[in-house]
Amino acid sequence: MLRLILIRLASEAALGLFVDTTVQLTQFAEHSWVPAVEDLRLGDVPLRHTVELVHIDLPIDQAEPLLERGVLPGCRICPVRMSPGGDPIVSVDGSLLAIRRETADCLCVRLLAQLQDVG
Amino acid sequence: MDDCHAKTDDGLNAPSSRTAVQDLPARTPLVALIGPPNSGKSTLFNRLTGLRQKVANYPGVTVEKHVGRARLPDEREVDIVDLPGVHGFSARTLDEKITRDVLEGRMDGLRSPDALILIVDSTRLESQLMLVEPVLELKLPTLLVLNMADELEVRGGKVDDEALVRRLGVQVARTTARTGLGVEAVTSFLSDVTVRESGGQEISLRNIPLGVPLPMMDAFAARRRHVGEVVEEAGFVPPGPSAVSERLDSLFLHRVWGPLIFLAVVLVVFQSIFTWAVPLMDGVEFLIAGSGEWLAVTLPESWFRSLLIDGVWAGVGSVLVFLPQILVLFLFLGVLEDSGYMARAAIIADRMMYRVGLQGRAFLPLLSGYACAVPAILAARTVDDERDRLATIFVTPFMTCSARLPVYVLLIAAFIPQEPLLGRFLGQRAAVLLGLYGLGIVAAVGTAYLLKRTLLRAKPTSFLMELPPYRIPALRSIGLRLLDRSRIFLRRAGRIIFTVAIVLWVLTQFPRTEGGAPHIDDSALGRIGQVIEPAIAPLGFDWRIGVGLVTSLAAREVIIGTLGTIYGVEDATDDSIVLQDVLRRDLTTASAIALMVFFAFALQCMSTVAVMHRETAGWKWPILQFSYMLVLAYGGAYVAVRVFGG
Repeated sequence: MLRLILIRLASEAALGLFVDTTVQLTQFAEHSWVPAVEDLRLGDVPLRHTVELVHIDLPIDQAEPLLERGVLPGCRICPVRMSPGGDPIVSVDGSLLAIRRETADCLCVRLLAQLQDVG
Repeated sequence: MDDCHAKTDDGLNAPSSRTAVQDLPARTPLVALIGPPNSGKSTLFNRLTGLRQKVANYPGVTVEKHVGRARLPDEREVDIVDLPGVHGFSARTLDEKITRDVLEGRMDGLRSPDALILIVDSTRLESQLMLVEPVLELKLPTLLVLNMADELEVRGGKVDDEALVRRLGVQVARTTARTGLGVEAVTSFLSDVTVRESGGQEISLRNIPLGVPLPMMDAFAARRRHVGEVVEEAGFVPPGPSAVSERLDSLFLHRVWGPLIFLAVVLVVFQSIFTWAVPLMDGVEFLIAGSGEWLAVTLPESWFRSLLIDGVWAGVGSVLVFLPQILVLFLFLGVLEDSGYMARAAIIADRMMYRVGLQGRAFLPLLSGYACAVPAILAARTVDDERDRLATIFVTPFMTCSARLPVYVLLIAAFIPQEPLLGRFLGQRAAVLLGLYGLGIVAAVGTAYLLKRTLLRAKPTSFLMELPPYRIPALRSIGLRLLDRSRIFLRRAGRIIFTVAIVLWVLTQFPRTEGGAPHIDDSALGRIGQVIEPAIAPLGFDWRIGVGLVTSLAAREVIIGTLGTIYGVEDATDDSIVLQDVLRRDLTTASAIALMVFFAFALQCMSTVAVMHRETAGWKWPILQFSYMLVLAYGGAYVAVRVFGG
């Protein structure tokens, strides 16, 4: 499982590098081995991997319910389960939130290096 | 109980201007109960006030206002207002707007609160405390209630109450509202509350600028940082994951088992509506019929007796009959909701509903629609997006409510032969009944699809559902809610049926012939039937069915009684053989099917129209809904009569 993600990350990183080298380089400097992928979305994160929310790519009225529940840039999110319909159920601050995968695809996240070994 | 309601009335609803309130001697202090959804707010409210509560709507909107009176050990009393569960105070949703208005004392008919109780689920302290900062800005005496303390301890969580007191400058109490543990600390806070002398100082929640992306994001980020500091200082150790909840979730949200269990739950709810509630309904029917007969014998023969028995008794009775069914339905829904399963069911349903243009929360009202559209439309208040809510209540009357059932049963028994269709498993009669239920679903889905692409078109909203931990429901809370529901149902539906019953009765009594009531053919009602006959002739209906259709506008099942009156059949019920015989004389099988299709689609229910009017705050939606369903019903019946008549 993990290997698959890494392959995916690597390929996406390669694409990213090709498009915008400067951004990618600064990101590399901050996180030694995991290439921060600008377009890694919550919907792509496999179960039980904690990620950090970087950016919410939603109009403000749709983002507000998320913000009120503490889903803010910088917070940690961990998908814990998939609903039978394929929508992620995530854990944030000890609460379980079910979100549509369309919404999850609008949440830009990055993997946390130190938590890579979990799962 | 009426007595205590009256008392609550003068305290709360009388003068809306503040000066007038202050003139009252010895005012009862008002405490507002705030908290996020699923924090146990209503359970605590019920603990504190018991039966001494009053439910009404906030002026002009459909959010329920729960106000109750708590009696303190020293015999003093405090009024408590249970605010809707919110996560914030931006006026994005109606609930949030109401909460803000009440807290700032801008709500008509409710004075500004003298103190606040902020209740949070202590097992999820971090996300729940997002409310604490704006609440503290109100600068009112505040009690922070850490609810579900038992769960926090069992799962190994910790928090230092004293540190919270120091850091936030509020009182802190730990409770387990479900069992009542620790509630005395809340009561002792209440006994210290005094009426606040509002010296003109304005209280206001910090407004978060709407539509300005960056500042709002910053405001929330700052709030979250503050919460982070608070919980750290209070040494909050989040409880371990609830093993029970996880295990149940892996079953209820399992890819295969999840949907199967979901279906099973839906079936059990159905079963409860259609079989287990029946003895109770028969009991109510028996009581109404019995008391009607008793009245008939007791009262002297007069127009008043006729009005009372044929008009009021029969009309109101036809609604009362559904009460057991509604109570059984809400008992089940209450258990499902309080146990935490309903949130899971909504997630499972969301994918299906989303395709149609609705959302997961619409599942509950639509399911309730199989009993009765009136409580179902009320239940749609849980649908947070306004367009989704409108779409939901627009299609709810397509769900085959139990008032259609007796009509279907009568017509099927009269016209559809009991012959096997698919071996021994499915007879023709059952197939027709199933087909009619299916027709309702198809119409609902099609209409929702249409609505969301025309009148209610909107960008897809972000469906967000919090999954509370599984909990054992508190019977006391559910019982109080059932009481609430029955009151609302009886008041809303009863008033309409009462009026319509009287109007219909008058129409059967005039014009008077030889000092008595005319024969039904010659009555005003009969003439109305004859007037509309040309319009319904293409469907194969004569004026008698026409009269039935007119009277069934009040409530669908009324058509049976009306047909009984017209054909002069005593004791007309859905299993009346005589009525079946005379119907076969006047209707073809194709027309009978057309009539059932008409009933499947048409909005023949004044109570629903009235509730729609109330819930959409205007006549636009009910009129649109009524006309749309009438057109669909006529068209459907026409197609049916052509298809089956050919």
